[in-house]
Amino acid sequence: MRKLILLIAAPILLSATQAKAQNFEEMLEKNFLAFDTTQNQQQKLEYSNKLALIAKKWPDEWTGHYYNAYSKVNLSYFEPDEAKKDAYLDEAEREYEEMMGLLKKENDETHVLAAMIANARVAVKPQQRWQKYGKIFDENLSKAKELNPDNPRIYYLIGVNKYHTPKMFGGGKKAAMPYLEKAQTLFAKEDGEDIAKPHWGKKANEYFLNLAKGGEED
Amino acid sequence: MERLFTLLLLIISTTAFGQTTVTGKITDEKGKPVVGASVSLENTLDGGTTDSAGVFRFTTSEKGDQLLVATAVGYANAWSPVVVGDETITKNLTIKNTARSLEEVTITAGAFEASNEKDKTVLKPLDIVTTAGTQADVVKAIETLPGTQKQGTENGLFVRGGDASEAALIVDGLVVQNAFFSGPPGVATRSRFGAFQYKGVSFSSGGYSARYGQALSSVLELNSLDLPEKDNINLGVNMAGIYASGSKLWKNSGGDVTAYYNNLSPFYGLVKANIDYYDVPKGFGGSGRYAWQPNKDGMVKLTLAGSKFTSGVQVPDSVNNPVRYDLTNDNYTASISYRQTLRNKWMTYVAAAYNYNGDDATYNGIPSTRKDERTQLRAEAKYYMTSRVSLLAGTELQRYDVTSSFSNYQSSFVEAQYAGYVEGEWTPVYWLALKPGVRYEYSELLNRNSISPRMALAIKAGRGAQVSLASGLFYQNPDYNYLYLVDKYSMGFDYQRAIHYIANYQLQRNDRTLRVEGYYKDYNSLVKENGNTPYNPNRSIEGQLIEGKITTIDNSGHGYATGAELFWRDKKTVKNADYWISYSYIDTRRLYKNYTELATPEFISDHNLNIVAKYWIDKIETQINATYSYATGRPYYDAMSKQFLGGRAPEYHNLSFTINHLRAIGKWFTVIYAGVDNVTNHKNIFGYRYDQNNNRTPIVPALYRSLFVGINMSLTQFEKDEL
Repeated sequence: MRKLILLIAAPILLSATQAKAQNFEEMLEKNFLAFDTTQNQQQKLEYSNKLALIAKKWPDEWTGHYYNAYSKVNLSYFEPDEAKKDAYLDEAEREYEEMMGLLKKENDETHVLAAMIANARVAVKPQQRWQKYGKIFDENLSKAKELNPDNPRIYYLIGVNKYHTPKMFGGGKKAAMPYLEKAQTLFAKEDGEDIAKPHWGKKANEYFLNLAKGGEED
Repeated sequence: MERLFTLLLLIISTTAFGQTTVTGKITDEKGKPVVGASVSLENTLDGGTTDSAGVFRFTTSEKGDQLLVATAVGYANAWSPVVVGDETITKNLTIKNTARSLEEVTITAGAFEASNEKDKTVLKPLDIVTTAGTQADVVKAIETLPGTQKQGTENGLFVRGGDASEAALIVDGLVVQNAFFSGPPGVATRSRFGAFQYKGVSFSSGGYSARYGQALSSVLELNSLDLPEKDNINLGVNMAGIYASGSKLWKNSGGDVTAYYNNLSPFYGLVKANIDYYDVPKGFGGSGRYAWQPNKDGMVKLTLAGSKFTSGVQVPDSVNNPVRYDLTNDNYTASISYRQTLRNKWMTYVAAAYNYNGDDATYNGIPSTRKDERTQLRAEAKYYMTSRVSLLAGTELQRYDVTSSFSNYQSSFVEAQYAGYVEGEWTPVYWLALKPGVRYEYSELLNRNSISPRMALAIKAGRGAQVSLASGLFYQNPDYNYLYLVDKYSMGFDYQRAIHYIANYQLQRNDRTLRVEGYYKDYNSLVKENGNTPYNPNRSIEGQLIEGKITTIDNSGHGYATGAELFWRDKKTVKNADYWISYSYIDTRRLYKNYTELATPEFISDHNLNIVAKYWIDKIETQINATYSYATGRPYYDAMSKQFLGGRAPEYHNLSFTINHLRAIGKWFTVIYAGVDNVTNHKNIFGYRYDQNNNRTPIVPALYRSLFVGINMSLTQFEKDEL
């Protein structure tokens, strides 16, 4: 009888303690996937707040800071208040610095993240900032390309940037297409298993590709 | 056995399923609920986000002493210790809004910034070029801002009661000796500034920094570009001529070269001009610029520019006979500057320039020349003590000599000015900024010293709002016409002086700007000609001296200027539209030069209104701009009237339109523009000129309605293998 009880109790007890000793990777994956999937802004905010807590709890994991930074950049686009937009990006930059402090050396994904932050800065005040931050955006993506030319996120970011650039400055739907298409082929090759190998962007790329294809009146 | 089982179940239930609920409300200091705040137990993942009512709710299995922390973007963090037991915890927290401190408080009294860099700018270089009625002339665009007077027949910037000599035009901290192209008398020419050569324009209508002197009213400051953005070729053709420029960017340096040929025949050929150009203005010029970035925080710039222009016009003399006035102008500038920031603590700046301007004219065959030559140096250093305090100290040297001749008759003077200045910037609390300064200046020619204290401050008055005050002493040499007399007739002059008092309220919110400004200027020590001769607008000063009509010239002149201005700019209300309204009222009188009484000068309109509008039509990639300017009539000397300067010219109206269209022609980014100035062909009269027989002719601009058309094509090197 005792043995039976212990047998029943043990796994329950084990799972209970297991639930307490939360696994960093699990929490990160769960919350990031939730953040990236939901379209509800309030929910996005909640998951982003969770990602911030995760990054704070495991400060020595670079991926925690990476995904928190990513989520803050994402939130900055939907925030209407300019000062708050910049405040989100300030936090993204702080997380970026923490990440670089751990990694010591840049890699293609850190360059992609830096380019993302620069792009979001331009979005806050396009007229005043496109010169300074546009340059940072270009520089980071070309460095990323040098390190890993098969990173789909490089072409996704260039494509989205070109999509939003007015036609007379060399942008527009037609100009964006080749980049989004190249990103699409490269996204297909990614497996998206390892949280330590960022794989975001596939769905967003599809979304922009559809926009670029449709309503092609020029 | 059963006890063990129960005990185990108890252990399991309390450890595995012992969750406590934590809930509460987060508000700011005003009691408003904060949405989206993250509330959690410190160092755990247990937490929640506040909803639209500011309420949060989460469960935790932590126990004991914990720290509840609330964070939200734009707010300071707040903590509260809690003890987690089995019971639901309700905790409300207040967090402080820090978004206010995200806005900088900047001195705005008497200052308008137009640059791509600062966030609080009012105008950008692109705004200047697209403003109708300005023909892309920087100075004319500034004339749509409050505090300025419209000019049709005289060169210069006339600000708040001051004449053209009272406004200093500065590029990169160096005085621009001849900012306007030379022209015949009675014709306003354009400034030598091309809007796209500068990254920013800053206009001060009073109370300006201790860095500058020799201007009783205002300073217009332009900052040249640093490194070019990319390799670029730019070609343009318009009714004034053709131009080409190219820029190249290397690793840490870049350069650009510009060349132009101007010929105003098409411009004056289309419509009948009010002046008789028998030799339409034409000329050519070029400039070269090299910028080098020796390190991340340094910049060296070298500029060379030169131009040569000729024109011939028939003007009436004092008995209304036509006189042929032929003019050849040569203008050269060489300047170098070096800026270096060290460890974000020190900033040093050194700049030097040489300017030469030669006007060779003949007046019915009689040679009339004027040569200006200037060398200048500025050196300054700024120390950033803390993020709230900085101190600037600098010195300025100006040496210029001016020689003027008419037939065999020569006048000249040589002047050397030495100045030293100190200015502090202090933000003791986030809502207050102070800028005290003092300037010392010595003039060799006048053999006089001056000390000008200056003070400006700004106080935050709510979200996006501030109140700004400025005051100071401003000194300026007498006009060149008087300086010629110093050596020749052993005349001594003192500095002319003005004291400014300015108060300003500015509100900037949601892409809308409201500015209200009031000022009082006290003028003293103005140069005045004394004698018992009636007013003669056509006098020659030396002639009257020799004839004894002028007995003395001294600094006994004085005057005042006071006024109020309103500026409203809205970039938000109408989609794709941007407009501004600028209204200035001025009450000014002075007794100086050859005036016989205290009177409002001829270059002043009491009321000035400018409405500038721009509208962008996305579908056809075209922008339409319109400007309407109105000014009340100016005083003029009416020979028939008993009152000095008692005549009032008619009101000034000017409605102008321009349209610019952008398109890509192959790889060339093209702008096609066309504009009509004074669409209604309103015959603006600025005053009247009386000849010696008391017949009068109206003083009118060179053209009433005019047309301006052009095209600009730009080719930028795109990276070849972007894919």
